[in-house]
Amino acid sequence: MLKVIPVFAQAGISGFQSPAAEYRQLTLDLDELLMEHPTATFIGQAKGDSMTGVGIFDGDLLIVDRAATASSLDVVVANLNGSFVCKLFDRKASLLLSPGSNQQGHQLREGDIFEEEGIVIRSVRLHRYARQLAQCLR
Amino acid sequence: MFALVDVNSFYASAEKIFDPSIRQRPVVVLTNNDGCICALCDQAKLLGVKKFGPYYKVQDMLRDQGAVIRSSNYELYDDLSNKMMEVLGRFAPRQHVYSIDECFLDFGQWVPKEGWADYALMIRETVARELRLPVSVGISLTPTLAKVASFVAKKRKVKKGTAVLISDEIRRRLLAQMQVGDIWGVGKRIASRLTAMNVDSALALADACPKAMRKQFSVEIERTVRELNGTFCFDWETLPTEKKQTFSTRAFGSPVTDFTSLRQSLAWHAERVAEKVRRQQSAIQVLTVFAHANPFASSGHYHRSVQHTFAFPVNDVSSLVRVVSKAATEIYKPGVKFHKSGVGALALCPARQTQPDLFDESKSKPELMQCMDLINQRYGKNTLGIAAKGVNVQWSMKRNFLSPQFTTNWQDIPKITC
Repeated sequence: MLKVIPVFAQAGISGFQSPAAEYRQLTLDLDELLMEHPTATFIGQAKGDSMTGVGIFDGDLLIVDRAATASSLDVVVANLNGSFVCKLFDRKASLLLSPGSNQQGHQLREGDIFEEEGIVIRSVRLHRYARQLAQCLR
Repeated sequence: MFALVDVNSFYASAEKIFDPSIRQRPVVVLTNNDGCICALCDQAKLLGVKKFGPYYKVQDMLRDQGAVIRSSNYELYDDLSNKMMEVLGRFAPRQHVYSIDECFLDFGQWVPKEGWADYALMIRETVARELRLPVSVGISLTPTLAKVASFVAKKRKVKKGTAVLISDEIRRRLLAQMQVGDIWGVGKRIASRLTAMNVDSALALADACPKAMRKQFSVEIERTVRELNGTFCFDWETLPTEKKQTFSTRAFGSPVTDFTSLRQSLAWHAERVAEKVRRQQSAIQVLTVFAHANPFASSGHYHRSVQHTFAFPVNDVSSLVRVVSKAATEIYKPGVKFHKSGVGALALCPARQTQPDLFDESKSKPELMQCMDLINQRYGKNTLGIAAKGVNVQWSMKRNFLSPQFTTNWQDIPKITC
C-alpha cells in the first residue's frame, strides 16, 4: 500500500510554523521491518520449549515467510504428520533439530508427512501481557 | 492477451491452509446457516457429494466417510482473497477483480520473454507458494476465451491447472467440445433458446452471425460471439462494480413463530442492507421485505413479501427499520413456522444524485450513520447497532462448524508446537 506523508493544507499565517514541519518523515512501521513479503507471511504462536536454543520461547510470535529464500539450515514451520511444528531444519540431512532441549533430532523417513510451510524470519518476545492474545472467558 | 485466474474449490482449499490435520481428508464447506453445501475439495467430490445440495441429506454418509465439515469462515476467505489479488496484480498492468476468488489480468500488447505457457505456470506456482492456494490459469485473446481456457485448465491431465489458447485450430477444436451454456455470459435461458435454434456447441455460437445474435438476443451476446472469435470487445465498465441491487437474507437457526423474532430478524437484515448500501455510496429507492415458511416442507407453505417505494431515496437505518417494522405486521401470520426472512434493496441510485426536496420529510441523519459506520469499522462489527434487532436472538446465524479466524484475529493465530 502506498504510504503518504500527511501534509495539511495551510492558508494565511496563523501563529508560528513548527520549525520541524519540513523534516516530517513517516513514523517507523514495524510491519515493514518484520515482514519482507507481506502477502506470503503469516503469524503463528510458539507453544513449547524445544527451540530455546535459537531464542524461541513458549508464547513467542513467529513471523513465517513462505517466499523467503531457503538456506541449508533454517528455522522453519512445517506440517509434520498433520500438525504444525517449529524446528531447525537441516535440509541436507533431512533432520529436524530441537536446539535447546535434550530431545533427539527427528530424522525424516519415508511415510512421514512433511510439508515445509515457511521460514521463521523473525520471532517476537512479549515481555508483558498482551490483551489481544488472551482468550476471552466464555 | 488476457488471463483468468481462479481458485479451485476456494473455501475448501482455504480451510486446509492453516489446519494441516485435514489436508488429506475430504472437506465440505457449508453456507446459509449450515444448511447448504457450497464447496467441496477434490477428496470430497470423490464421495459423490453435489455442490449446492442440502447438507442434511448427506450428513450421515459424510460422517461415516470421515469427512470434515466446516461453516463458511468469511473472515478468513476475505483476507486470503485480498492477499491473492495483491499477488496476482503483480503479473499484469491491469487487473479486474471479478469475484472473491477470480480475477482477469489484462496484459495489453505485452508478451512475456519465457512464453505464455511458462508464464501461466509461474502465476500458478507463485500463488501456491505464497498463499498455499491452488489456482487455475487460462490465457487467451479475449476475456471470454480466457474463461474457456480456464475451463480447459481445470480438466487437463498434463500441465494441470494452466492452459494457453492462441492457435485458431485448437480454439475451434475446443469450442466444438463445449456446450453453448458453458460459455461465460450465456445463461441457462439463453442457452436453451440457442439449442432450440440448433446452436448447441460453443463453436456453433462462435460461427453465428454477430448482427443476427444482437437482433435476436442482446448486444451482450453479440459481444460474446465476437469475443469467441478473438476480437476483444468486452467492456470492463459494464462489469457489475456498483451493485444495482443488494440483499440480506438468511434461514433461521430454528423455525420462528412469534412476531417479535420475525420483526427483529427483519430489522437485523435492514441494518445490514443499509450498511452495504452506504458503503457503495448509494441510496435505496425500492425496498422489498419478505419471509416464508420452509418451501421443502410437505405442508404449511407460506410466502409473503412487501414492497415499499421511498418518496426520496434513503440509506439510513432508521428509515429502513420503520419500513420493515410496518412490513412485519403485514407479513406475520400466527401459526406459520417461518423458515427464512430477508430484506432487499431493489432499486439503488448514487447517494449524491438524490435531490433535496421542499416536501422531503425524511429524517435522515447522515452524520449519525457516518459515525456509526466509523465506530463499527474501528471496534468491530456490531459494536453499535439498532435496538430493534434485539440482543441474544435465537434466530441468528448458525455457524456450528466454524474454523478459527487464523489471519484476522490475534486470539486465533495458528499455534505451532516447538
